[in-house]
Amino acid sequence: MKIIIVGAGEVGFHIAERLSVENQDVVLIEKDPEKIRRITENLDVQAILGSGTSPEMLKNSGIKDADMLLAATDSDEVNLIACLLARNLTQNIIKVARVRNPEYLKEKELFSQDLLGVDHIINPESAMVETIQNLMLVPEASDVIDFVDGRVKLIGLTIRPDSPFAGRQLLSFKGEKGKPLVGAILRGEQVFIPRGEDTIQAHDLLYVVAKSDEVGNIFRFFDIKDEVLRRLIIVGAGQIGTALATAMDKTKINVKIIDKDNQKCTDLAQKLKKVTVINGDGTDRDLLQEENISDVDIMVAITGDEESNVLISLLAKRLGAKKTITRINKLSYIPLVSAIGIDTIVSTRLSAIRAFLHYIRRGKIISVAPLKGEHAEAIEAEALATSDIVNVPLSEVKIPTGALIGAIVRGDEIIIPRGQSVVKEKDRLIIFALQKVIPKLEKLLTVKLEYF
Amino acid sequence: MHFKYILNFIGILLFFLGISMAAPLTVSLFYEDGSTKSLLYSMIITSMAGLLLFICTRGDEDTQLNHRDGVAIVTFGWIAAGLFGTLPFLFSGSIPGFTNACFESISGFTTTGASVLTDIESLPEGILLWRSQTQWLGGMGIIVLSIAILPFLGVGGMQLYKAEIPSPVVDKLKPRISDTAKTLWKLYLSITTLEAILLYGGGMPLFESVCHSFCTMPTGGFSSMNTSIAHYNSTYFDTVIIFFMLLAGINFSLHYKLVRGDLTIFGRDPECRIFLLLIGLFTVAVGLNIYGDIYDSIAKALRYAAFQVSSIITTTGFVTADYDKWPSFSKKILLLCMFLGAMAGSTGGGIKIMRIMLLAKHCYQEIFRIIHPHAITSVKLGGRPVPADILNSVWGFFILFLGCFIVASLIMAYMGLDMISAFASVAASIGNIGPGLGLVGPAKNYFAIPLTGKWVLIFCMILGRLEIYTVIVLLMPEYWRK
Repeated sequence: MKIIIVGAGEVGFHIAERLSVENQDVVLIEKDPEKIRRITENLDVQAILGSGTSPEMLKNSGIKDADMLLAATDSDEVNLIACLLARNLTQNIIKVARVRNPEYLKEKELFSQDLLGVDHIINPESAMVETIQNLMLVPEASDVIDFVDGRVKLIGLTIRPDSPFAGRQLLSFKGEKGKPLVGAILRGEQVFIPRGEDTIQAHDLLYVVAKSDEVGNIFRFFDIKDEVLRRLIIVGAGQIGTALATAMDKTKINVKIIDKDNQKCTDLAQKLKKVTVINGDGTDRDLLQEENISDVDIMVAITGDEESNVLISLLAKRLGAKKTITRINKLSYIPLVSAIGIDTIVSTRLSAIRAFLHYIRRGKIISVAPLKGEHAEAIEAEALATSDIVNVPLSEVKIPTGALIGAIVRGDEIIIPRGQSVVKEKDRLIIFALQKVIPKLEKLLTVKLEYF
Repeated sequence: MHFKYILNFIGILLFFLGISMAAPLTVSLFYEDGSTKSLLYSMIITSMAGLLLFICTRGDEDTQLNHRDGVAIVTFGWIAAGLFGTLPFLFSGSIPGFTNACFESISGFTTTGASVLTDIESLPEGILLWRSQTQWLGGMGIIVLSIAILPFLGVGGMQLYKAEIPSPVVDKLKPRISDTAKTLWKLYLSITTLEAILLYGGGMPLFESVCHSFCTMPTGGFSSMNTSIAHYNSTYFDTVIIFFMLLAGINFSLHYKLVRGDLTIFGRDPECRIFLLLIGLFTVAVGLNIYGDIYDSIAKALRYAAFQVSSIITTTGFVTADYDKWPSFSKKILLLCMFLGAMAGSTGGGIKIMRIMLLAKHCYQEIFRIIHPHAITSVKLGGRPVPADILNSVWGFFILFLGCFIVASLIMAYMGLDMISAFASVAASIGNIGPGLGLVGPAKNYFAIPLTGKWVLIFCMILGRLEIYTVIVLLMPEYWRK
């Protein structure tokens, strides 16, 4: 598959990196020579110096035989024009644009096929608001990913050093009632797909598959207290903070939002009914104590400055906040901040990458979510009648090492697979896979004889 | 530095080099030329050595190559290939002595085409083919070839590619480096085949047309004949070979664009225009200069001038005339051609037209600034601005090239060579041309150069082929510091 990416910012770079590892043909268009140099040194992709809004550039990038255009620059206007030009230059290309301005997004018919020619819109900010809300619903989790329209959840759990599970072999769960399926483990900077003989260690992030109504059981199993969210503090009233506060305004939760900017606070206070708006500095210890940080269930640090976010979260944790959600932009920081005890991280870039990847996966892959640490994905796929995986016991299917089937969803039933389980046609599968085995997995899921 | 990985890669390289000896082996079986055994032994030793090295150093597959590793792999890979390439010569006894065999082998791989052999025609066919084949493999690059065949390199491939490809700027033809390498080799293979067909169609024996095509496209210059192309004395062969030498001297990404349907690309590319213009100009100048004294008809003079100029400027090194006997003006022009070299991104050597153009434009810019001290200027090539770091690296290359040339020619003069021979032997080696002037002129060979002198020239050939930086960086203590 040939993919053209406009903009080699962090989003563009990471998508290009992922795709090039999977041996896709990637062409990047970027106007900053410094970024071009960084790309040619680090990635096996073709980097072209120029603007994505130049028809000449798009032609040079070989748009005629490309399958997809991802417009991922920071500018909505550039992204939309790039898609518009692509539509003009070639017929059968899927165009995905990153659009952030909420005013544009409100105009639904603007993006219809015959006007701007965008096939899919990606709005990382709104994707992030969703992620944060999801995380707040399950406050104990470090990461929550929805599958099969939210009926199955993938929950990231951090193992505390004092947890009785630290040091236990996965095999020892056998036979216990309600045993969960651990699909992936993130340890330090490494992600791996565990086998029975692997041991859980303190500070591991476990990814566990659960039906949405059984999430509580999982926490009980892991001896993690299931608490209801009552008090919430949001630091940062930017676009995301505002959206989050607006959404929370309708709930019974006690929400406070803190921001440095007086004007922003005034505007917000006029707009919101229940939420308490506080004008002040989120890194101010006294202010946080004044607002009873020690009784807060969740503290969300989503200012535009990621370093402040990290500090605010650390401070809040020390002052007694039960859980913090921290917004980070640089993806390379994620393993670092996990190491200093900040477990729940959101990132617009990660959200954007998740969203873009969703459209790239081939075959009957329905949704894709990169796990934290970047080197593994959880994939939701439909089992095709023609693929090798159907109608044989799983123990006989040649699943590539580094991949694991986490759940089989058949109608309303959710099956945690065992060796003798059989996948049937139309089942939805949730698969954990390391990034490098994804091409093999795609083959397994699509091949035999399928004609498109 | 990932020593294990570097050795591992060289192991694979040697293994494939050994396998490639199957071609001369088959030929020697067919002709029953008596070199079968020596080729078989060479093949077994080379591939086994490669396989052993590969197995002994196997390990972590996730190692990401960095730029340093790339440089080491390319330089040591070339040296290893050059050393194992001597085996057929040594076993068959075609070339006496390790130094001579090494000279011939490295001269082959680096596409220099300087030979120590006096009587080439007496060699067995298998050995002759191996000699041509070293050039053909070295032309597009053994490393580029391995990038094309080995699937696992990824980004590491780019590091290797940059270290081997003879050009100040690296353009990728395809999004992925392995596809780029494959495309280049496909182009290279098809042009070579086309040339062989044209030569064979013109009446050259099949074996000789293959050998000559194998040595034209890499701008190599080994001939299977004692008197090189002069042996045939045919206008048709001269024309065909001139045409293909020029193709070989042109940037391969232009060939790619041409094949993709951009028919006027040769005329539009600024470097290509200057390249062809220079060849035309030099041909006329040399033709007029040798008309009268050496050749009695203007057509004949132009034909010989065109062949010699094209052969030297593309750094091929085929000859149809003993230009050492030409007037001094013509010799000077040919010596100048040795330095100029072919286009960047071609298989040719020398400084490269693109670098000369950039240097000239940069000099002009400096002069312009003296006149307009406040002017903001930028060096452009084909309408696109050239970044300052590329200009700097071009200047660095130029100084290094001249520096190496001066030091090496001083050593050659110390060995007792006369001034012209010392200059020309080094220029012909570092520019990967082959025949020089004087003692190493087109009618003579490198056999008479003293032992140490041969090693100096061998080093120059590798320097020239890998464009100096790649080799010289390994000689810096800074490189080996942890």
